[in-house]
Amino acid sequence: MTRSLTNLRVAFALAFAHFSYIALAAMLSILAFLLAVWFPNLGLIAEIFSGSNAPLTAKLGIAVSLLGGIGTNFSLLSAGYTVTISVLFGITAAMIVYQLKRTRATAARQSLAIGSGGVASGVIGVGCAACGSLIIGTVLPSFGAAGALAALPLGGEEFGILSVALLLVSLLLISRKIAEPAACPVK
Amino acid sequence: MNLSVTRSARAITAGLILFAPAAYAQTAERGGADAALVERIKEAVIKELRESGALERAVDEGIRRFVERQGAEAAQRERSEANARAAALRPVSRGRDHIRGNPNAPVTLIEYSDFECPFCKRFHATAKKAVDDSNGQVRWVYRHFPLDELHPVKARKEAAASECAAEIGGKDAFWKFADRFYELTPSNNRTDIETVLPQIAREIGLDKAKFASCLASGRYDRRIQEDYENAVATGGRGTPWTIIVSKSGKTYPLSGAQPYATVKQLIDLALQDK
Repeated sequence: MTRSLTNLRVAFALAFAHFSYIALAAMLSILAFLLAVWFPNLGLIAEIFSGSNAPLTAKLGIAVSLLGGIGTNFSLLSAGYTVTISVLFGITAAMIVYQLKRTRATAARQSLAIGSGGVASGVIGVGCAACGSLIIGTVLPSFGAAGALAALPLGGEEFGILSVALLLVSLLLISRKIAEPAACPVK
Repeated sequence: MNLSVTRSARAITAGLILFAPAAYAQTAERGGADAALVERIKEAVIKELRESGALERAVDEGIRRFVERQGAEAAQRERSEANARAAALRPVSRGRDHIRGNPNAPVTLIEYSDFECPFCKRFHATAKKAVDDSNGQVRWVYRHFPLDELHPVKARKEAAASECAAEIGGKDAFWKFADRFYELTPSNNRTDIETVLPQIAREIGLDKAKFASCLASGRYDRRIQEDYENAVATGGRGTPWTIIVSKSGKTYPLSGAQPYATVKQLIDLALQDK
């Protein structure tokens, strides 16, 4: 545990010593957050921006106001893990990019795989909170997924929690790769 | 740019000049030597195209055009689907629908809702405020969208109870029932319907026996199913599912319990449509 935290600290110090990786992490986190909150209304946003004669400020106003959905269209738990998933996703992805650029090797593949699983799981988790307004309604209804998820104690929000856990594992793995590069230890 | 075009043209012209006699020779003699000559010319043309970068540019241009075409087709498909969904929207009927606010308002907010959905409970107050603040510019139409997989039995029973309230107490009774129901109940299929439904009926002044008989009859089951099917046909995938319709018929679909600011801005946008 202590070693993992040390790795995390070292990896953060190495990767985020460069402003470009801080910017990348921030940008990816924001993008992930926007996607999560806007997802149920991407069609409306597209319609407003492409098919409406309203001024740009009005269009932007609607897009920005939809972000308030994090307070009205999410439970407290799902809002919490949506923000956490977005931040962890941004940080992990930026660190994977740092590691790939540094080693030009496939060392980050494992973190990438686990991180992707985390994001996928998060999408299902986010969907469960809004009375089936995301992935359950759009992708999985024919599999009876909504009913199965409703049977879970947290109504499917377990997936959001699982997502946070997977992204944390991914972050720890990539931190280890950065902080402890593969080499023969000196006795 | 001009230089590369010139080089490409030169390569193609060289190819044609060399290829024409070769083709003629091939027709005339069909000998092995001519076939070898054709091969050499082909190689020369391909080499020239490759070295001038024309081949690469042509491939890039082809890919760009393909991506553009795909994007345009996807946008067209999306527009067609949106139009089909808008066309599927059942017109508002004063006889059948539950309407709150000015019945002749230029903007209509049609909400497909589930009495057991916590987000519908939240959105109920938002829609009410939108109508109250609109100065007669917005009417609110309530339709049923019970999500059986998430809220089995209860959501449909409650929808039927709201219809019974309207039947016995009139249109206002429907809204009194809905307001009180959302005030009293915890959502997520945790409502004790055996207690709550008769309690609300009593509070809003409905005849207890008539209400019980109506609820047991199942005569609104078909209507609720029709609302459900219309919600799905219009693109509803979860609740609350709302469609804001302008006077000209332009629709703005809104998924989920979005903030009042969003609803207000969409109403303003719809009011601008003539």
